[in-house]
Amino acid sequence: MNTQTILNALISKEVLSAPQASVIESYEATKPFSIHWELRSVLYLGIILFTSGIGIIIYENIDTIGHQVIIAAIAALTAACFYYTVKHSLPCSNQEVRNPNKFVDHVLLLGCTLFLALEGYLQFQYNVFGSRYGLAIIIPTIIFFACAYRFDHRGTLSMAITGLASWLGLTIAPLSILSGNDFTAERILTTAVALGIVLVSFGWVSDKKDVKKHFSFTYMFMGGNLASIAAIIGLFSHDLKIVYFLIGIALSCFFVYRARHAQSLVFLLMGVIYGYTIITYSIFTTVGEDAAIALGTFYFLFSSIGVIFFLLNFKKFLGIKK
Amino acid sequence: MKKAYNENWIENLHIQQTASAWLSKNLLTKEQYEQVKALFPEQFYRPGIFVKIGLFFFATIACSFFVGFVSIFFIDSGSEIGFSFLSLICAVCFTVFLEYLIKNRGLFHSGVDNALLYAAVSAAMVPVFMLFENAGFWIYGIVALAILIPVILRYADLLATLIAFGVLFTLLADLMMKFPLGKALLPFSVMILSVVVYFMAKKNKSLYYQDCQKVLEVLSLFTFYLGGNYFVVREGNALMNDFSLPVSPQISFAPLFYFFTIIIPLAYIVTGLRKHDRILFIIGLLAFAFSIFTYRSYFSQLTPSQELAVAGALMIFIAWAAIRYLHTPKHELCDEPDGRRKLANLEAILVAQNLGQTPHENGIEFGGGNFGGGGAGEVY
Repeated sequence: MNTQTILNALISKEVLSAPQASVIESYEATKPFSIHWELRSVLYLGIILFTSGIGIIIYENIDTIGHQVIIAAIAALTAACFYYTVKHSLPCSNQEVRNPNKFVDHVLLLGCTLFLALEGYLQFQYNVFGSRYGLAIIIPTIIFFACAYRFDHRGTLSMAITGLASWLGLTIAPLSILSGNDFTAERILTTAVALGIVLVSFGWVSDKKDVKKHFSFTYMFMGGNLASIAAIIGLFSHDLKIVYFLIGIALSCFFVYRARHAQSLVFLLMGVIYGYTIITYSIFTTVGEDAAIALGTFYFLFSSIGVIFFLLNFKKFLGIKK
Repeated sequence: MKKAYNENWIENLHIQQTASAWLSKNLLTKEQYEQVKALFPEQFYRPGIFVKIGLFFFATIACSFFVGFVSIFFIDSGSEIGFSFLSLICAVCFTVFLEYLIKNRGLFHSGVDNALLYAAVSAAMVPVFMLFENAGFWIYGIVALAILIPVILRYADLLATLIAFGVLFTLLADLMMKFPLGKALLPFSVMILSVVVYFMAKKNKSLYYQDCQKVLEVLSLFTFYLGGNYFVVREGNALMNDFSLPVSPQISFAPLFYFFTIIIPLAYIVTGLRKHDRILFIIGLLAFAFSIFTYRSYFSQLTPSQELAVAGALMIFIAWAAIRYLHTPKHELCDEPDGRRKLANLEAILVAQNLGQTPHENGIEFGGGNFGGGGAGEVY
């Protein structure tokens, strides 16, 4: 089935007139081939390779180059990146800003990465911050938050959130939540739950107040995963199970509600999976080991069929029209 | 082979999607688009990717516990025959469920049907392994193909296509390894089989198999390139002959493989751009990157870090130059994004995963060890 047959079908059903069809046909025949995403991917990869390569070279040759030269060079590059961004940026707005300039986003990201490198270098070499590590992390975090809002950049925002998390001693990158955090420590666990909830509420507020609405996904997704996983770990391995249970269930319900509200199905998936894990675990620990073994097969068979039924009909249950 | 999904709906879906693309370019009016939707209806259940993942996940759980449930009735017969019988019963049940759901709930590669199909196929394979214990690989391979090909023809499933492709090439390698001459000719036979698969896939005109066709195109382009790649052939040759030298020995026909390594990616990229074939173009880019890797593995004078920096700088320059050059469309190429930025949210998360980690790595340097990782909370 090609353009021609579709057009013929549309003409025969009298949706299209013949002249309009010929316009569409000539459009299809002459439309250019967009290599936008391929070029962007090459650019992104290039930036990552280049910065890591340069980083290693500098590290290897630190004795011959001299620290001042390197620091000056990184500082100059960072300043250049930020200068370019400021010069080509559009006025600040509470809405999503669409910048026609094709490089600003990438230059800002490069600038932020370089700033981190610069700061790390200064600390490593000259111990600028001494043992006030918190200060060393909170400075870039604040700058990144400012940049994210001023230049409307989701990537910088997620870097800022990461910085905020590591200021509190946490890893928030989605794939490293489990491996990067030592959840056996009660303090880290509670911090994680608290930070996650704060981020989720912040995302919710920015959606409600219509301040950078499109940022709310990043806040909720990163914060939500952190809080939910921490709550589940807390439920598994710490006392105060009832608190973690309530928090986890509340988060899951919020995600499902959010999925209905924003029609964002990733939250539906998060809510269902986290909620299912929490409820299953709670049931099995409550009924005791023997009953759990006896009931396991039936429970999993029927509960998963139930979840499938829910997911097949989620539009009806949640009242999503689309 | 009779097709499982409603072909009319698939065609209508395609018409609707094309119409919506035209609508976004203002080639159709809103009313016309609504008319198209009314005249070419489809009632597939097509949730978003995340709901599909959830459905697949829970359907897999349900399937595995269904096996456990059925096995309760077979507790006495722990024998192989009993086990084969059990898995056959499960395969039949899964297939019946699958057909029922497709017919009555309008599933269309929606997660549940994928999971049921894979469960049914795996359950159907179990008795084969029981039956032909210690047989050669080719028996398993042929039986697997005999099951998979009808499955693909009926359900047009992507993973089944992928596995069937893998089995086909493993069968070829298995066959060629049996002869001394076969080993030497293996690269050429892989390339020939790839060409055959590619052009057979290209011949498909049916919408029903469109995605399977794409999978086959991608895979056969990859195998064609890898079959002629100098690095793969040289290292593979060393591996097959168990040379325990630190450096793998030079291969025969080396210049021919140099030629392949250089010319295939370029041919892919140029043809892809000229024929507006995205698959060819992207695989050409990936192949080109692998060719550079091949070159540096044997000839490079630079250290890895210098290579990274040079490669990165070149990529930035090329991308920058191309973006500038295509500011206005030229040679039927352009740099306009197709549609909205659908993946903007995902990009941000990727940035957090890759770049955002940096404060942590700095942290290791800062604290001299006691600050890295997640345990940082103790420091202050």
